[in-house]
Amino acid sequence: MRNGLSHGLWQRLALLFLAIFLLGSSSLARAQQGAAAPENKYVGGQVCRTCHPDVWLNFNRNPHFKSVAMGNQTPEKTGCEGCHGAGGNHVAAKGGKATIKAFSTMTPGQALDTCLTCHSKDISRANIRKSAHTEADVACNNCHSVHKPATPKFLLAKQQTQLCYTCHADVRAQFEMPSKHRVNEGAVQCSDCHNPHGAFAETWRTGTGSTMLTNARENEQPCLKCHIDKRGPFVFEHEPVRVEGCAACHQPHGSTNAKLLRRPVVFTVCLECHNGGGTFGRQGNGVQAQTSSHNLQDPKYQRCVLCHVRIHGSNSDSNFLR
Amino acid sequence: MTNTRFAILLFPALLAPGLLAQDTVAPTTGEPVGSARGTNKGDYNIVQSWEAGYRFMSVGGDRGKYSGDVNYRDGFRLLSSQMTVNSKDGKGKYFDEIILSTQGLGNDPYESAVLRVAKNGLYRYDLSWRQNDYFNTALVVSAGQHAQNTVHRWEDHEVTLFPEKNFRIRAGYGGVSLDGPALSSQQEFDTKGDVYPVFRNIRERFDEYRIAADGRFKNFKFTVQRRWEFYKEDTKDNQILALKGTAPALLTSFVRPQPYRGRTPGWMGNIYGETRWIALNAHASYSSGTGDYAQNELAIGLDRFGSSANRQIAVRAHGNRPVAAGDFATTVLPGKRFSIVNNLSASNTRMNGSNLFQQYDASTLSFATVNFQFLGIRLVTNSTDAHFRISKRLDVFGGVRFSQREIRSIEDTADAGSKFDGVSGQQTNSTKAGVFGANVFLGKAFRAHFEGEIGRNDNPLTPVSLRDYHAIRSKLQYRTKTWTLGGGYNDNYNTNSVQITAYSAHSRTYSANGSWTAKSWVSVDAGYSKLHLDTIGGIVFFAGSPRAVRVTDQQSMYVSNIHAANIGLRFALRKYADLVVGYNLTKDTGDGRAMLTAQSSANAQILYNAQTFPLTYQTPLLRLSVRLTEKLRWNVGYQYYGYHEDFGLLSLNQGYRANTGYTSLLWAF
Repeated sequence: MRNGLSHGLWQRLALLFLAIFLLGSSSLARAQQGAAAPENKYVGGQVCRTCHPDVWLNFNRNPHFKSVAMGNQTPEKTGCEGCHGAGGNHVAAKGGKATIKAFSTMTPGQALDTCLTCHSKDISRANIRKSAHTEADVACNNCHSVHKPATPKFLLAKQQTQLCYTCHADVRAQFEMPSKHRVNEGAVQCSDCHNPHGAFAETWRTGTGSTMLTNARENEQPCLKCHIDKRGPFVFEHEPVRVEGCAACHQPHGSTNAKLLRRPVVFTVCLECHNGGGTFGRQGNGVQAQTSSHNLQDPKYQRCVLCHVRIHGSNSDSNFLR
Repeated sequence: MTNTRFAILLFPALLAPGLLAQDTVAPTTGEPVGSARGTNKGDYNIVQSWEAGYRFMSVGGDRGKYSGDVNYRDGFRLLSSQMTVNSKDGKGKYFDEIILSTQGLGNDPYESAVLRVAKNGLYRYDLSWRQNDYFNTALVVSAGQHAQNTVHRWEDHEVTLFPEKNFRIRAGYGGVSLDGPALSSQQEFDTKGDVYPVFRNIRERFDEYRIAADGRFKNFKFTVQRRWEFYKEDTKDNQILALKGTAPALLTSFVRPQPYRGRTPGWMGNIYGETRWIALNAHASYSSGTGDYAQNELAIGLDRFGSSANRQIAVRAHGNRPVAAGDFATTVLPGKRFSIVNNLSASNTRMNGSNLFQQYDASTLSFATVNFQFLGIRLVTNSTDAHFRISKRLDVFGGVRFSQREIRSIEDTADAGSKFDGVSGQQTNSTKAGVFGANVFLGKAFRAHFEGEIGRNDNPLTPVSLRDYHAIRSKLQYRTKTWTLGGGYNDNYNTNSVQITAYSAHSRTYSANGSWTAKSWVSVDAGYSKLHLDTIGGIVFFAGSPRAVRVTDQQSMYVSNIHAANIGLRFALRKYADLVVGYNLTKDTGDGRAMLTAQSSANAQILYNAQTFPLTYQTPLLRLSVRLTEKLRWNVGYQYYGYHEDFGLLSLNQGYRANTGYTSLLWAF
């Protein structure tokens, strides 16, 4: 087990962590000292009400209203100016997008920075800087609508499913297949499995393109949040479930095949791996092929899970028969 | 294009059944009732809507398949409700905000409720509850084996104290349960014996209790969470009637209780800091799962030779799974245009346990034991990505990824003669991949995203794992106030060829979608996707008569070409009525064959029949909503579900046609 990752490598990684953390700490302090003072004057939200009565009248229903109600926030974190910046110049100029922080004129990065001023403290957004959405320049205001939300919770611009479909039209097609997770029906939401704000690396497979999957209970694949019987621990684990993940056999969004399987007939799912060839498997001598007692011309042997009923893992049988 | 030509082209689209503000016909959404929304009560403003009605359904064909796919049934429902209560000045006595929304209460197969109650600065309570009644088809096909639903229920409660402060405390409870019938199967009394259906009464319950603290110290935010999880399963397998197998086999009695109790306490810590040019995020978690299991299986009957059989299997087992995982992400932001992100993650999973398996044969009194197995997985992943904004119109990004994984397993038994005795294995594999891409912005309306990835795993675990692969992901989008047009192309290619297992998988997805909101009273949206998949892999099996022989000269092929389309229209007659029509279609044309034809050999026939699975699934819908008064609307809707398989691949025809609909009153004020 130590051949690939020696003890020394772990020590070097630990030292690297420490060095980067210390560097980060000192830079934080330097950055605080160098913060620029605002040029504008804060005028307070009541002034904004004069020209934006429609926004103000509904603002008490908005979660951001609490910055006003609590009365203990600094002006740069209170009400309208908490997001749009000081309004002094805007008032003096009698409006105009050039004199205020208007989200419609911001770059994605600027919008992200503005929102993170307050919204960075939740762990759910700890990875937003490295998320695939940020990399693709999808910023907060692409999905959230602060003043005209479709949902009072999270202030989404549309219902979550429709919002995600706006860009992920191919995924929508998968959720309209006969066998699928019930996203369109409201039983499941995209955010049950994905964190649109970015996620930690997956712990069950080697990294490829980020799918922003949320690790269930910090270090497990998200399927196990609901499919509790597949979680184990089992005395006899079916390795691909732990090593490659559920997607080795299932299509997670939807499929034309029953049980969201990758193939319509189950024996092909099994035998494409269990063919004994190559250097695959735990022992490097191929994944165990079936034995001569399985005559595939007999239909019952074409349905492997008829007998291997505990295919996700078993506590009593190494061949998952019970 | 002239306006006239455009109108001619558009007209059929307007007539086509279609829009999809949503994909199920009910509940009704999007139809406002009057302009005045909300009433004031004391210091609070209340906005609410309630939709109640009757849902009806009739099914022809395979009802089991319908219940597995759709499962809407007759009956009265509270189809949806929404309520918000907000204090007008943000200084309510006990609360400042209540948000409640529900769907499908009263026996719809998809029921949910979300509740938030909050007092600014003091507390926030969040509840999420969902229930899905689903038809558990047990095996690969439904075959209408039974007509009862399994109930899958989720709930989560979380209380946050001082939610807006620099230090806050969270405590929560989450529960998941499954309860209901399913069919399973059991082979008796040996590996060549008959397979009998077995009734399974599923009873599973997961409970999680957690407490956490979030804090901020200078520019660092930290989170610490302690978690306790409990899992119990009391599923019991029973055979109700004596089942006759292939003569002279007979299973007269079968019972298998198999209780399981598991516990997984865990810790999680996270520390996060960010300033103008650097962001750091460190995360670590540890959980230690254990499970205790017992089984007492008793099967009585006649074996395939006609001899009486009386077999008892007793198992007691204990499993452990400690999992440790850590992540360290560094984001360097040297300027407005440039960022570098490095993420290093490591996880270590060890699964081991003891298992005592005892099998008693009443005639021979023989027994066998298997008592230990270990599986360990260690994974280290590093990714480094750089993102550079060249101009307002263009930015580019690229990155490298490296993963190293070690898998070690031990099989050991107390039976020195067993093939599992002392078998151990170790395998190390690494994945190296590169990604690159660009984002293009032309004005505010147009954006494009291109991304490519190429990678290689030097020693994949299975023949279908990624070995030599590449992927392309691209999206185009044009958005104005009235138009949204989008398109995308994705492909994923993987080859994993050695010896017998020449495996390759190609998937390509093309998609296009658009919506047009011409006026507030008319809108159209439509989408089309083509999902192509072809795979070919080596396959080895035994087949033949009278003796099965090893077959290595066949290949497993699978081809699907799925065309998925949706189109819809929303038309409003001023404030008085809303009409929504929509159509969804999923059609797998397979590999183009019109029918299954006879092959030259029985072995070739087995694989030929499994190569493609053409089918059609369509769900048109129609909904009309009429305003009765300023606060009241009457809604009626109809949705058809049609499922048709072109070939009887699975030895039975699972096609169905279902007519569903509803009528309701929506009261909003």
